[in-house]
Amino acid sequence: MLRAGMGLLGLLTAIAACAALLALWPIGTPVALGALQPDPQRGAYLARAGGCIGCHSDPGSDRPALTGGGPIKTSFGSFVAPNITPDPDHGIGGWTLEDFARAVRQGIAPDGRPYYPAFPYAFYGALSDQDIVDMWAAFQTVPASPETAGAHDIAFPFDLRFGLKLWRAAYLHAPPTAPDPARPEAWNRGQWLVNGLAHCGACHTDRNLAGGRIAARHLKGSDDLPGGGTAPDITATALARTGWTAGDLAFALQSGVMPGGDTFGGGMGKVVQHSTAWLTPEDRTAIAQYLTTEN
Amino acid sequence: MFRKTPLTGLALVGLTAAAFAHTGATGVVKERMDAMKTMQDAIKTIKPMMTGDAPYDASTVRSAAEKIAALSGDDLTRHYPEGSTDHLTQALPAVWTDWDRFETLAAQLETTALGLAIAADNGLHGAGHMMENGSGMMGGGSGMMGGAQPAQMMTADHIGQMPADGAFAMMTRTCSACHDQFRKDD
Repeated sequence: MLRAGMGLLGLLTAIAACAALLALWPIGTPVALGALQPDPQRGAYLARAGGCIGCHSDPGSDRPALTGGGPIKTSFGSFVAPNITPDPDHGIGGWTLEDFARAVRQGIAPDGRPYYPAFPYAFYGALSDQDIVDMWAAFQTVPASPETAGAHDIAFPFDLRFGLKLWRAAYLHAPPTAPDPARPEAWNRGQWLVNGLAHCGACHTDRNLAGGRIAARHLKGSDDLPGGGTAPDITATALARTGWTAGDLAFALQSGVMPGGDTFGGGMGKVVQHSTAWLTPEDRTAIAQYLTTEN
Repeated sequence: MFRKTPLTGLALVGLTAAAFAHTGATGVVKERMDAMKTMQDAIKTIKPMMTGDAPYDASTVRSAAEKIAALSGDDLTRHYPEGSTDHLTQALPAVWTDWDRFETLAAQLETTALGLAIAADNGLHGAGHMMENGSGMMGGGSGMMGGAQPAQMMTADHIGQMPADGAFAMMTRTCSACHDQFRKDD
């Protein structure tokens, strides 16, 4: 009995020691952005393409844009995209440009804590310094508001954020965005949008039990989206099989209309409304070209 | 064998129900499914004109838009009485728990469809009209980073000033916004 007790005590001590080490484990790398000239108009375009405005706003609520999104219900709990207006207390008004860069590209809050991967920062790692500087300038044009959408409601043990460091080590990978000189420019632009900023794979890829995207299932669809939704397979093979042309896809990303005259649902309507409808026709065509090209 | 039969029977019923969801429905659920199908067909008819794949014909566009307008707004919401949750329905419970939002979107569909009926005579601008998207400046009250949907603040007459393809996309994005929140997709 005593020995069992000692054993348990030893185990608990070991767990506590591991947790303490994990809590102290530094993550991320310092950033230096130099003196780049900001273009807020370009930054706003990127912020729409990246879904910042869509996810951090809730048009059905009475709150202003970017004061926080509706709850995202997952098996780990309910996540709320926070207020990212320049409010100093409830938004990102107290942040520096470097804080913003680290948050967006590395998923680390100014206080050093890792963000939950409901925030698709892995895909934003491909943003350039100029992209970050422009987006930061765009966020400065937003009126500050102290309103919020409430807090996350995460079940134990997922509420212990230092555990996310292990998650990062195991699952923080992103699909390729580096240009392939052998491909057309539009294909490369499409790849950068699909696999990077527009983060299509965040929904259109199956996840494992830990919530990590399964790399081999990239863009092959998911039937376990937050709230119980599904996202179809959007690989070139599947799109060809279901009769989608590049033209159909580009038009659907603008209008929400699918080839048969039905319109998107299941969350894709929001993506169109807040992101892809705002893109230039060239960018929608680039996305369509990349997705419909067999690799 | 005997014990398996009821299960097999149930599975068959399930399959049949899935395959004939629209034809198997009855009453108000069937009526609203038929209305949705009519709207889908109207969109399908004019979509090739919007993409430039078929010659543009203003009167066809106008009549499709009028058909959709007649089936939206109050005519749409009256087909969703409380408790009409026949198992064949694709309507999510949110229709009734979030009725105000549902009603707003149904009204917005009517506004945008009436707008398209007016805009039909304007013809096409071509993809990426500045007023409808792309510029980023029409996003709502808070400048270039606004999140509001332009359609919520526009009347049918405003939308009627747009090129037809812009008004069309504004209307169809309203369809999608409603499906997102209130339709159960497979």
